[in-house]
Amino acid sequence: MGDGREQRRGVAFVAHCLLNQNSKVGDGAHCAGIYSPVVDVLRARGWRIEQMPCPELAFTGLNRFWAVREQLDTTAYRRHCRRLAAAVADMMAVRAGRGEDIVLIGVEGSPSMGVHVTSSDPARGGLPEWPAGTPELTSGEGIFIEELRAELGHRGITAGLGGETHALPGHDELTQRTRLESVLAQPGEPVRRGPGGTGGGKPPIRRGPGGIVPPEEAP
Amino acid sequence: MKPDERSFRIALVADRYVNPAPGGLDALAVLAQAGWGAMQLPADDYPAEIAARVLAEVTEQAEEFSRHGYDFVLIGDRDGLAEALAAAGLDIPDQIVPSGAAELLGFLNARPAPGASTWSWLSRS
Repeated sequence: MGDGREQRRGVAFVAHCLLNQNSKVGDGAHCAGIYSPVVDVLRARGWRIEQMPCPELAFTGLNRFWAVREQLDTTAYRRHCRRLAAAVADMMAVRAGRGEDIVLIGVEGSPSMGVHVTSSDPARGGLPEWPAGTPELTSGEGIFIEELRAELGHRGITAGLGGETHALPGHDELTQRTRLESVLAQPGEPVRRGPGGTGGGKPPIRRGPGGIVPPEEAP
Repeated sequence: MKPDERSFRIALVADRYVNPAPGGLDALAVLAQAGWGAMQLPADDYPAEIAARVLAEVTEQAEEFSRHGYDFVLIGDRDGLAEALAAAGLDIPDQIVPSGAAELLGFLNARPAPGASTWSWLSRS
């Protein structure tokens, strides 16, 4: 590197849609296929990439409606997420067993893949009409991330946590890049075992003048 | 609402093109340039039972894309993929083992427009 700092390298397990925007809910694809800003950071830092499965795609399909956590939080969907999480955790266990650092990169605002910000509205249901601008974004994890972190906790695997913010209002690519680089520099945040729910204990999201600001990593 | 930018085009990509060795072909860069999505196949160094589970999940997702008319290609190869796809009634898609970025880009750009791109309910630019 030449600047005296050792650059840590490891394996980044990324949300499926970051490599394949075709998996997004209708009208949710931000680009044709690969969301390059995340890949560029990982390449520049020499991190290996592993793509996680999209939990919503195989369960609710390509024609799914936009949904909040409460609509997806069923026994069957959690069972589906646990199955996928076990497969991902198997892969992580192999990498962790080789002493590799692991980072988990989700998608902020997602009811399934949110890391610090998810979507929630207990009143949503029935005919899919609601006022534009309904404030559904809230602090917490998506359901798949919650199940995966529980599985990793059972196995004693630690992973850093990062969330891509391109779906949040006020997304700023430079800020996102800086935040992701910070996670890669210190990937060893312990995975905490916690009860199911909405990611309790996380700091609340902040609403800045430019939009939603994900909370910093929990201490 | 911002237009939906999806391409309806997806490549199943062998791990060695997702995580290339130094000097190797970076398929993600080429796919990004061509506007394709990627579905990564498990690396060869995973135990067989783990790879089989991953391939089953890849197949389940590929099945959903396929039944909606998304275009698929295979970049490289992966032991067990043909069997996993066959279990869902899917064939191995058109395949390339590229020697370089230009060859891969030419292959991708030569594909006809996928049928799913006629979805009318998406907001398109």
